Amino acid sequence: MHMSTVPSAASPVFAPGLVHTPFTPFASDGGIDFERYGRLVEFHLREGADSIAVPMHAGESVSLPLAKRHRVLEFVLERVAGRVPVIAHVSESGTSMAADLARHAQQAGATAIVANVPYYWTPPQPMLVEHFAQIAAAVRLPMFVHNFPEEMGGVKFNAASAIELIERSPNFIGLVDSSLDWQYMIELLMLSRRVRPSFALLSGSEYLISAHAIGATGSFCALAGIAPKAVRRLHELCMAERYEAARPVQDAIAALRMAIKPGGVAALKAASQAMGRDCGSVQPPLSPLSEADGARLSLALSKIEMLGDEPRGW
Amino acid sequence: MPLVLKGVMQSPVTPLKADFSPDLETFERLLDFHVRTGATAISWPHHKGESLNLTIAERKRFAEVAVRTVAGRVPVSIHVSALAVEDSIDLARHAQAIGADAIIAITPYFWNPSPQAIHDWFMRLGREVDLPIIAYNSPSYLDGVEFTGELITSLLEKLPNLVAMKEASFDSEKFLEISRAALAVRPDFSLVAGVEFLLPSIPLGGKGSYSSAGAICPNLCTRLYTSCVEGRWDEARDCQYKLSQLWQLFRDQYPSSLKGGMVIMGRPVGPTRPPLPTASDKRIAFIAEQLGELGILDSEPHGW
Repeated sequence: MHMSTVPSAASPVFAPGLVHTPFTPFASDGGIDFERYGRLVEFHLREGADSIAVPMHAGESVSLPLAKRHRVLEFVLERVAGRVPVIAHVSESGTSMAADLARHAQQAGATAIVANVPYYWTPPQPMLVEHFAQIAAAVRLPMFVHNFPEEMGGVKFNAASAIELIERSPNFIGLVDSSLDWQYMIELLMLSRRVRPSFALLSGSEYLISAHAIGATGSFCALAGIAPKAVRRLHELCMAERYEAARPVQDAIAALRMAIKPGGVAALKAASQAMGRDCGSVQPPLSPLSEADGARLSLALSKIEMLGDEPRGW
Repeated sequence: MPLVLKGVMQSPVTPLKADFSPDLETFERLLDFHVRTGATAISWPHHKGESLNLTIAERKRFAEVAVRTVAGRVPVSIHVSALAVEDSIDLARHAQAIGADAIIAITPYFWNPSPQAIHDWFMRLGREVDLPIIAYNSPSYLDGVEFTGELITSLLEKLPNLVAMKEASFDSEKFLEISRAALAVRPDFSLVAGVEFLLPSIPLGGKGSYSSAGAICPNLCTRLYTSCVEGRWDEARDCQYKLSQLWQLFRDQYPSSLKGGMVIMGRPVGPTRPPLPTASDKRIAFIAEQLGELGILDSEPHGW
């Protein structure tokens, strides 16, 4: 395991490696099913998570009221019990609300926090810098920003803004990119190296090859809940810069992603169920896959040979 | 000559005289410069070559000069995309008649064509000529009009001469979708990147790229390609970061900033046709400063 947490006066150091982002298991009454959540945590630890981040969008963070969001983090911290670092997702619309989540994460014992741009407001760049700077200032924990324009109303956290934030916030140590934009990733690393050489780029999706070639050192992978062995293998081959060997694995994982993408979290949960790990239904306003979409997904999954090597059940 | 796409292929700019008329003599010099400094292929006129601001007659004259001057030293492809489909067909037939090695074509301009319309257009173009065709995918410049995996599968099943794609989405998901679809039908299909994004694309199976900055820094282009194929990733990152800075510099008022940069490198190629601006003295001075900071002035050839 190649992660470490070393406090430093200047900028905290934390290399999260391969980060698993568990789904949130729900019971039929809409409550969190902690019995299954416990088994899910063990599954992720057994299947190669270097770190665990909860509750990400794949864990339906935005559908959890505050008390449940706190509870999820506390529960996962208690179950993981220091075996790997736990990263708390603290995205909110309001800056003070996000900062409160960050403070809670620190008190509860999380290793780091990760935040998206604020929901709904589509703020201009200076407001984004201010938002993240205030969250960072609320805690001593290392902070990652997640850049995912496609999911966040087209709002992108520009490379120039990231540099401003690095200059303001000593604990802003890395960016998780889901834009998949080559020029953006290159620009970010090129510029950040001048002001914070240790600044990390992590991939926010399972497209690891290009991101690692550019200089990424880890990733957040929701598909680790479906195909953890392939994701782990891809991560290790990319860490070793063995891209040619990584290509067939990357191709198979891309096929899995494209099968799941149209259905979003509902499709992730349906695929998890197909792999023998029933995490219950998605919560409103999301709805489960229609019968036709479910059938399309099953057909697509049946064509992905790689899944034959993946663990079934808990 | 057989078409093998690999390495950094050059798409020359179009030299113009002060009155904006074609400067064929300087074009010959530029073609020679590219071939001498490591271009693995020549392709003309990409958008960087102001294709859409040239008349069809002018495009034919330049194309003839390109094929004649390169004279088989490396393959020559002709970009046949034009606003009118009839013009594209005319340019494609002309390319074949003058002995070009391939043609390259983008999805149709302006009309936001449906996938079916893109399909029908490439089927027509592909049957019109007996030359290899390179399809050109550029969703960010064409308002999201693009090749999907499904579309490329369907074309490859019917068009034996569709051999490659210039894939300029610069996005791993799109690149992989096309690559997975194409290689399943045609294992020797080639994907090449639009500008020198070799570091993210070669590890994904890309064969090479066209080039933005090749008339400025051919040595850097060659070093990037070589370090990628030889797996020297630290060196590749160093080169790629530099070339990305150059792309940021030149894409502003493309290609006039590039032509401005060529003045500094001792290879002037004249103005840029309106509505594109011609680089001002102030802009040229700014570019000179940037090229100096990146070490280009000391490490790259000056003059022809």
